[in-house]
Amino acid sequence: MSDLMDTLAGITANSILGNLRRQRPDVVKHLQGSDDVIFSPQDDGGLTRAERAAAALRVTTLLRDPVLSEHYRARLAMLDPDGTLARTVEGGARITEVRWDAILAHVDLVTRGPGSAERKDIDNLLAAGLSSHAIVSLSQLIAYVNFQSRVLAGLRMLKGAA
Amino acid sequence: MTRPMRNFTQGELDWRPWVAPLDITTATQEQLAALKITPSNRAVGAYSLVLAHDPEALEQRSPLYNAIMFGPRGLPRAERELGAVVASCINGCAYCASVHAKRFTELTKAPEVMQRIQADGVDAALAPRQKAIVDYAAKLTHDPAAITPADAAPLRAQGLSDFEILDLTHAVAMFAWANRLMQTLGEATTPAREGNPL
Repeated sequence: MSDLMDTLAGITANSILGNLRRQRPDVVKHLQGSDDVIFSPQDDGGLTRAERAAAALRVTTLLRDPVLSEHYRARLAMLDPDGTLARTVEGGARITEVRWDAILAHVDLVTRGPGSAERKDIDNLLAAGLSSHAIVSLSQLIAYVNFQSRVLAGLRMLKGAA
Repeated sequence: MTRPMRNFTQGELDWRPWVAPLDITTATQEQLAALKITPSNRAVGAYSLVLAHDPEALEQRSPLYNAIMFGPRGLPRAERELGAVVASCINGCAYCASVHAKRFTELTKAPEVMQRIQADGVDAALAPRQKAIVDYAAKLTHDPAAITPADAAPLRAQGLSDFEILDLTHAVAMFAWANRLMQTLGEATTPAREGNPL
């Protein structure tokens, strides 16, 4: 059965590359498992599913990954039907809410310059009302999408070089 | 007494959290369960306790990390560590670079490789197979959008199978993840003592 990574890479579970992936069954299992709990957690810790999809869309926009952006855009459209969050991520809409502003600033920092993060960056999120749970969830999400984009880039490379 | 760490080191390492670590005495069953599967890096008690604020993510990420870095067959473990070191150097994660440089040297008994990378970074002069791995790891870390099918050729020319290239990809990608958590939820420190070059 194909999983999300197969679909994003444009392969099937039974293709040569799909079979290669399945020689690492625990990678396949826990990569999909990570995606499931990061985007559809049982307990969201105060970071909503719509916010999670929007933050991921911001990461993929920064990474210039059109396939992943389309994936998160479609997910966000289901969770944020009036498009409010989408406009702040992709449409250049003015951000007026302190909490969301702080989240997007953190997405940009952790994606582009994780080595320049400081304690004050976490303090900003706490001051904007995020719980420890929400901060860890946001951090895992940003880091995961950076991981996901690189796995996908490698699969595309191998697919194209077949 | 500790101070922030900015460079590769062979010395002692510690990590200071910016998010208050979970208090074990008030942890939920789910948080305790997630902590049982701890990533292989044993020096990060506080780090795991920070990640346990989101037990669902921790419970998936730990076995994913272990499968990528320690899974049997495929790319030799030392070469997965090499990918981890390159990603960590580029992302500026001195903690991860130091830990995984040490692992590489333990596995290969070839300290000169990490000495060269420590001195000259990802442009260090290396054996051809290592050079091909370093170049791919650096490009994938810098800008995944820049990777094209042509980037597989130098790896294959050095004898890497597609399964090994997939392993390398997973390892480098895992450090795009790990370096971001490690550097943004806290900071690496090194015990400050006399004679410590850092």
